[in-house]
Amino acid sequence: MSLLEVEGLNSYYEDSHILFDVALNVERHEVVALLGRNGAGKSTTLKSLMGVVTPRTGSIRFDGQEIAGQKSHAIARAGMQLVHEDRRIFGSLNVEDNIILAGLTAPNRWPLERVYAMFPRLKERRGSRGTDLSGGEQQMLAIARALVREPKLLLLDEPFEGLAPVIVQNLLATCRKLADEGQTILVVEQNVSAAMMLADRAYIINNGHIIETHTAQALRDQPEVLHRHLGV
Amino acid sequence: MDCSAPPAANELDANELDANENGDAMTRQRAFIVELLTAAGLIAAPFILPYLGFTPTTMNRILVWGLFGIGFDILFGFTGLLSFGQSAFFGTGGMVAAYLLTVVNYPNVVSALFIGLIAAGIVGFLVGLIALRRTGIYFAMITVAIAEVFYFVEFNPLSEYTGGENGLPGVPAPVLNLGFTTIHFNTDRTLYVFLAFWFFVGMVIALRIVRSPVGVILSAIRDNPLRASAVGHNVHGYKLTAFVIAAAYAGFAGGLLGVMQGFMPPDAFMFDTSGQLVMQTAIGGAGTLFGPLVGAVVWLYLSDFLQTTLHLGAAWKLVLGLVFVLLVCFLRRGLVGGIKDLYALIAERGVKTREAPGPLPALTPEEEKVTRLAVAKEPAPAAMPALHRKDDDAFSGPILQATGLTKRFGGLVANSAIDFSVARGERRGIIGPNGAGKSTFFKMLTCEMAPSSGRIVFRGSDITGKTVTDVCQLGLTKSYQVNQLFSGLTVRDNVIIAALAELRGKFRLDLFRSVHRIPGLAEQVEHTLALVDLADRADRPVAALAYGEKRRLEVGLALASSPSLLLLDEPLAGMSPAERIEMVKLLKSIGQGRTMIIIDHDMDSLFELVERVTVLQEGRVLVEGTPAEIKGNKAVQEAYLGGVRAA
Amino acid sequence: MINWANFISQCFNGLVLGALLALISSGLTIIYGTLGVLNLAHGAMFMLGGYAGWLTFTYTGSFIVAVFAGALFVGLVGVVMERVVIRHFYARPHADQLLVTFGIGIVFVETIRFFFGSLSKAVPPPPPLVGITPLGFMFYPTYRLALLGIVAAALLALYIVLYRSRIGMIVRAGIEDSVMVDSLGIDVYKIFMLVFGIGAMAAGFAGIVNAPVVSIAPDVGEGILVQTFVVVVIGGVGSFPGAILGGLIAGEIISITSMFNPGYAYVMLFVAMTLVLVLRPYGLLGTAGRE
Repeated sequence: MSLLEVEGLNSYYEDSHILFDVALNVERHEVVALLGRNGAGKSTTLKSLMGVVTPRTGSIRFDGQEIAGQKSHAIARAGMQLVHEDRRIFGSLNVEDNIILAGLTAPNRWPLERVYAMFPRLKERRGSRGTDLSGGEQQMLAIARALVREPKLLLLDEPFEGLAPVIVQNLLATCRKLADEGQTILVVEQNVSAAMMLADRAYIINNGHIIETHTAQALRDQPEVLHRHLGV
Repeated sequence: MDCSAPPAANELDANELDANENGDAMTRQRAFIVELLTAAGLIAAPFILPYLGFTPTTMNRILVWGLFGIGFDILFGFTGLLSFGQSAFFGTGGMVAAYLLTVVNYPNVVSALFIGLIAAGIVGFLVGLIALRRTGIYFAMITVAIAEVFYFVEFNPLSEYTGGENGLPGVPAPVLNLGFTTIHFNTDRTLYVFLAFWFFVGMVIALRIVRSPVGVILSAIRDNPLRASAVGHNVHGYKLTAFVIAAAYAGFAGGLLGVMQGFMPPDAFMFDTSGQLVMQTAIGGAGTLFGPLVGAVVWLYLSDFLQTTLHLGAAWKLVLGLVFVLLVCFLRRGLVGGIKDLYALIAERGVKTREAPGPLPALTPEEEKVTRLAVAKEPAPAAMPALHRKDDDAFSGPILQATGLTKRFGGLVANSAIDFSVARGERRGIIGPNGAGKSTFFKMLTCEMAPSSGRIVFRGSDITGKTVTDVCQLGLTKSYQVNQLFSGLTVRDNVIIAALAELRGKFRLDLFRSVHRIPGLAEQVEHTLALVDLADRADRPVAALAYGEKRRLEVGLALASSPSLLLLDEPLAGMSPAERIEMVKLLKSIGQGRTMIIIDHDMDSLFELVERVTVLQEGRVLVEGTPAEIKGNKAVQEAYLGGVRAA
Repeated sequence: MINWANFISQCFNGLVLGALLALISSGLTIIYGTLGVLNLAHGAMFMLGGYAGWLTFTYTGSFIVAVFAGALFVGLVGVVMERVVIRHFYARPHADQLLVTFGIGIVFVETIRFFFGSLSKAVPPPPPLVGITPLGFMFYPTYRLALLGIVAAALLALYIVLYRSRIGMIVRAGIEDSVMVDSLGIDVYKIFMLVFGIGAMAAGFAGIVNAPVVSIAPDVGEGILVQTFVVVVIGGVGSFPGAILGGLIAGEIISITSMFNPGYAYVMLFVAMTLVLVLRPYGLLGTAGRE
């Protein structure tokens, strides 16, 4: 049984139909990428999984449980975590409090030291308020917050957007490490090269429809597939 | 209409039903029915209501509260501003009139009342300047504070003028000298005639205001102040107008209270008075003009009934409070609103099945592609003639020129030194990967956001730092990515509001002119509806439209003012494949001979629509060219597919 | 000629009143900051605290028990109010939220009036705090002195809860981004209920501890509500430090103006509020985006 099985997912933003019968699977320990242009529905897909957007119809089976339509906090407790596109750091709390808060309701929360071992930069900035962090630091904190809960499935929404290349490299290495340690990840990215360095497999979404799915190797062998759907 | 129901109540029902459909002013030409029915109701009431247990004093009080509420309803029901401070103006008008009549011994009652009205209006203007600086809850809080301040001032520092806790006694009865006889309005019955007359006058005036362009704009402000401002109206000015109107009605009603009681009480200024007005209006139904009257009927009748018949004593207010809370929870639009909804529901059933549009076929992406190619080969639709096109020919050179446009948010640079120029009649597309700064750029062009540095020149004049309203008036409009419609109104009304700004400028106090009599309006509206293919859906409320239709209306609002330059922010956002194809067709037909700038992510559709494309990346212009050139451009491909090279 | 003893005494009164207003306004402002709802029943809650305390005092004779009872009762009222009514109004327009809290406030006031009548009732201060205390060159009512301490302690307790406890951390995060808090596995509706309860409790506590000073009556809440609004506008909506600063400013304005002419106290408050609105529209310590 896959860790995540999505079928017939239809999501709306008010009365605008964004996702049309989206279906995808994620197996344990694999890294899957969801690729597509802006406005294709990538973010909405992740938000629908996490319950931030309530899907209108469709089934989301997570670790054997049907979670479509549940509230976010219940889905979080079931073991899913979403690192939002705009990070959503609590600016009025400091770094450490952000992390502590995240772990409060997690049964197997990571001890602080483990978080700091993975993100030494955050340890240096542990007392700084969220608003004082740089873009890269905020992204690290957002990911750290999600990891504290030891999620069965980690959803990353455009984690590399707006970051300097050096920081992207750094983050990419961290994510690679997590994947190697067995973390299951579903990553949405417009930056295709970065995504393909992480992913084992990719879905391509266009205008709210899942078009195709390929293994990473297949995409490397046939770059014109990506050009066709994601390029201009 | 059920003729077996008690006539008075029946007449009132008919008034509401005809007065406003969905709280707006777009009534049919049998407009005077409302006025006639009101008059009939007022004439019939004193012969009928006493049998239902209404005392003459109660009827008179109802009229005073009803008049007080008309102005408040214009402020709250129509404009959406919930004020808890109306007692300040009620008391001011009342005290000024009473003071003139008692202390100064001013001879004429009616003109004293009007002086009170003017005083209240002026005070309303000054208070409005302060209170309207903020909206929403701040506004509510400020009005509460205002009510209390006025009460305290009236009670203490100004007590020599207002009689302090004793009020001003001895207010004379109005006198009407008809030459052959003199009428003294000093009994309950004669006072009823006097009050009913002024209520009628007040209602007729209010109906005119509500049917005027100003009235329609107030409803728009209630629904979507952002869009009302973006289509070219001076929202603050109109809000202030509504505030002053409410104050004026309150002041006149306050004067009438003094006349009715023969004595001007200090509790007119009490916060309780404001609170009672709010509750009565909510019970009766806001946005109907008659709601406050109905609410007053319920409130005053029940307070009598509960106290005298049921002997509940002081508990009457508790019962009324509970009734109020229950109504707010379950009958959101009050009694009148509830009746109208019921009526609409019954009327709707016939209309619904006839008019529902057939759903567009669901297309898979492959089918969409095939259909799109077929449609692209069709001959271009005939260009619709532009109406009232702004005098483009007066200016030569690019219609829009931005130089060095930069926007910084703290440390983040969203747009950096962008030079951008669009020629007249050109159709330009803007694309770019996420984070390119496209929306920020658009917001600067429409002046929704001021640039950190740089200049924007539109048709030869510098528009940098202007407001959205001004820029719209100059001929630059935008259709939004997320629909910004006036959701409580019909399709036609939506377009009317946008068109009114072009025909009347950003602020005009034509309170007494019927909106149907604005020259050129009907033409402009019909033309716009035809352009976006919504002519046959014009009288439907926005809520009844399908998403694709709403998107078309969204474009229609931007078109209604015949802009020289139309910006479209992701017009295809959230559309199904079939809707997408329809919209592309529509945009093609609109685009004939019109200057447009379009942002969208749907490359296939966009490239069909535009002649030239600007590509943004990371806040800068990457390259510009024709769609074919862009498609073949390597840098663009790289920008889209990811800029990270393995280290 | 200013009577200095009188002046100092009034400043002190202003401090006491200011601290009291700060406490009540803190309650209002954290409710608004977290839930986005302006509680127009807040003044009525202040009044309820006074009555609950007075009733308890009548039956137990203990002022301390009365204070606890008053605060807890109103806290409970707040929790029930959120759960039964307010929760269904989050998606409704702001005007409806204002109307329903306003209506509930009226119901509270009229219920009390129905059971206990309109006349005010005296609540005596506890025996050790009766009388006046000599303070060098002037005498000051002992209870008021103690009141300053009591309210300051309450504010400190609120501060500790908000800034030094886990629950406070959650509340502050919730004020900023309640959706994200929910995403992190915390049921945000439970937080809302708790915050409403805490906010109500602050008002109720203030109501009973202030009762020996002004006695209780069904209408005391109205004036308090207005003053609270002014405090919140001056201090900035959603800001706890703003409520404290605004409270102290308002308290002093009222007291010092009353020295010259009590009738003008409200006028001066209003002038201060207007000045803030013109010069710093979001309040002295408020942030943009909170409307």
